[in-house]
Amino acid sequence: MSAVTPPRTAPARRGTPTGPTDGVRRTPAARRSRRAEAAFGYAMIGLAGAAILLFTIGPILASFGLSFFAWDIITPRRFVGLDNYAAIGGDQRVVHSFGVTAVLAFSIVLLQVAIGLFLALLVDQRRRASTKAVFRTVFYLPLLASTAAVSIFMTYMFNERFGVVNYYLRLLGSSGVPWLTSDAGAVVTIVFVAVWQSVGFTFVLFVAALAGLPRDVMEAAEIDGAGPVRSLLRIKLPLISPTVFFACVIGLINAMQLFDQAFIMTKGGPGTATTTITMVIYQTAFQNLQFGYGSAISMVLFAALIALTGLQFTLSRRLVFYS
Amino acid sequence: MPLPPLSRRSLLRAGGVGLALAATTALASCAPPSDPKALKIAFFGDQSGADELRARLEEPVRALDPTIRLEINATPGTDWNEFFAKLLTQIAAGSRPDIVSVATEGVQLMAGRGLAAPLDEYVTRDLAELQDYFDDVSPALVEAMMYDGSLFLLPLDYNAGNMYYSPLLFEQAGLDLPAPDWTVDDFYDAGRALARIPDINAYDWVVRLWGSWTSFLYANDGNLLAEGRAPGGQWLWDAAYAGNPAAAGRGGGWAWGDPIANSPAAVEALELMIELRREGIAPSPDVGGGQTSQALFAAGRVGMSVGGGFWAGGLHNAGMAPGSFDVQYFPRWKSQRHLFGTAGYSILETSDKKDLAWEVIKRLTFPDAFDVLFPGNVTTPARQSLSTAKRYETTGPEHWDVFSSTLTEFPETAPIPAPIYFNALSTALNQRTTEAIATGDARAALDGLQIDLETAAGAVA
Repeated sequence: MSAVTPPRTAPARRGTPTGPTDGVRRTPAARRSRRAEAAFGYAMIGLAGAAILLFTIGPILASFGLSFFAWDIITPRRFVGLDNYAAIGGDQRVVHSFGVTAVLAFSIVLLQVAIGLFLALLVDQRRRASTKAVFRTVFYLPLLASTAAVSIFMTYMFNERFGVVNYYLRLLGSSGVPWLTSDAGAVVTIVFVAVWQSVGFTFVLFVAALAGLPRDVMEAAEIDGAGPVRSLLRIKLPLISPTVFFACVIGLINAMQLFDQAFIMTKGGPGTATTTITMVIYQTAFQNLQFGYGSAISMVLFAALIALTGLQFTLSRRLVFYS
Repeated sequence: MPLPPLSRRSLLRAGGVGLALAATTALASCAPPSDPKALKIAFFGDQSGADELRARLEEPVRALDPTIRLEINATPGTDWNEFFAKLLTQIAAGSRPDIVSVATEGVQLMAGRGLAAPLDEYVTRDLAELQDYFDDVSPALVEAMMYDGSLFLLPLDYNAGNMYYSPLLFEQAGLDLPAPDWTVDDFYDAGRALARIPDINAYDWVVRLWGSWTSFLYANDGNLLAEGRAPGGQWLWDAAYAGNPAAAGRGGGWAWGDPIANSPAAVEALELMIELRREGIAPSPDVGGGQTSQALFAAGRVGMSVGGGFWAGGLHNAGMAPGSFDVQYFPRWKSQRHLFGTAGYSILETSDKKDLAWEVIKRLTFPDAFDVLFPGNVTTPARQSLSTAKRYETTGPEHWDVFSSTLTEFPETAPIPAPIYFNALSTALNQRTTEAIATGDARAALDGLQIDLETAAGAVA
């Protein structure tokens, strides 16, 4: 039996945190200190909450509300109910741009993950930490550059007549490729630029994941005679599958909102070959001044992203291995 | 006195109240209070340009009202389309300038949506003061600033789509320099000859409304929209342009009618551009402002390109010496009709300083104001008397008079088609033009453009 009789306190309610200090009567100074600490914590949460409320949740709610109105920002808004949503299905421009976005996004995510993993595996084999650090820095650098600046730079690189890329292709005997002025060329170039710039993100994720693999498991596999391919497919990939899943989810959410590269490099062209859904939202709202309709399209994109992420989580139950 | 115990629930409540207060305060701060002592001008360009303009305008504005502070806020953009998109968003967010720089592209958009204030009463009242200005400015430019019978801007500068060329490359190709009455066939032959020079674009062009394939469309006596004139406007023509034959038959501004984007003239003009690319005379064009085209021309890698007076200063600033570039009228096809765009400053309907804004705008029409607004030959002065040999002696081109004489030599010259749904038109034109160049099928692309424009016009209606 304990020498100290615990004070009589009300039984802990469900959800009440328990800890080493529970049930101990604190001094007034300790209580004040704890209150001050808690207040500080809530203040910090409050600031972050205010920022999220103002800049994320607020605009989403405002956009959702606006999607039920017709508004050109000049004349008073007019309630139109679900008309904006009803119009989306019959708007070929929107439907087509969803298709374009899907093609671009899935290509980008696939390549991002595949190339990022490939590079990470190569770097993981290097033994010297300094070598790894150099590669990590080099592959991550493009991610730090402004997307707008990269897009402008790449526009010159891929210029049909005077671009560096076609200059070297001509040296090899090619007549040059209309990178930005043919449907296929424009899609390939935008995917290339997006992957080039963002592959550093997946690469760093995979490098960290590979570094965290349990050594005993890897050594056991080696002793059992598993070759590099077998070891990759049977041990490494299953063990880093949560990271692959994370990269796919984040990559797809980002890629579905692709805007800068297409807007700067091709203006959505040629024709509408690279007109993404975010470009259509921009054109609808900010150029055609149909803010209500633009908001409705953005809400559909929002719902599509949630659905896609949900689908990914459903698939992850079968494909992702959480040890 | 010790504080009462603070429960977790109280803290959460306090946090929630604090968060709501923070949000309310932040939202309230989003709407800038109106400053009764500031005259605000929305300027198309970068902030350094706006600051320079403010420095030059401060004194004249102070002379009008010593208590007023001049604020010039820059809105950058690659073209007028982008500028108006940003400007309208700023207006929606509560930023209400008193004066806005507006070009042809935005006149009907601003006037038709009730954003710009008509100047009719001011012009009528101060006509005696302005007569010198109207005597000096082509009625074609003034008419382009009218909408539904009212005048919304006083044009300060303009640019007609003339043809720049490189005399050096023409000489290298063994070509005579273009004559004022040259034709599209001459242009084509020159293009073929220039295309034999390696590593240059014989002809370079940009996908946009002004000076794109639309210049060929105008010379082919076509347009994207049916042309018409709004009734009215006689109050101005009878008073300011009485007895001026150039003002005869003018109305209350351009009334852009139904889309005719897939007319035979349009298909023929766009097919010409496709053919130029197929023959290696012109590359696939860029979309937008045309900075790349101008840079290539300045680097001596373009034989011919459509440009206006603004190219003179641009090419000079890019290092081209006088004599290394020159300009000629756009070649004749069915006619030698050019297109043009013009710009000025408009008073916003919401301004509470309209009288002062008008005084500033009036002041900007004085001859000495032009170089204050546009130093360095970066555009063509609307006042004919300002286009002189002296103005172009340092920048060139040799045939600078082409800029100012286009409107008089070719009186059928007209503004670009910029209806109230200009932004949608511009977007659709860009998309369908690049589609035509990529697929080689002008007819299909223009059929698509026709539908796009009908949809945009219907949405506005």
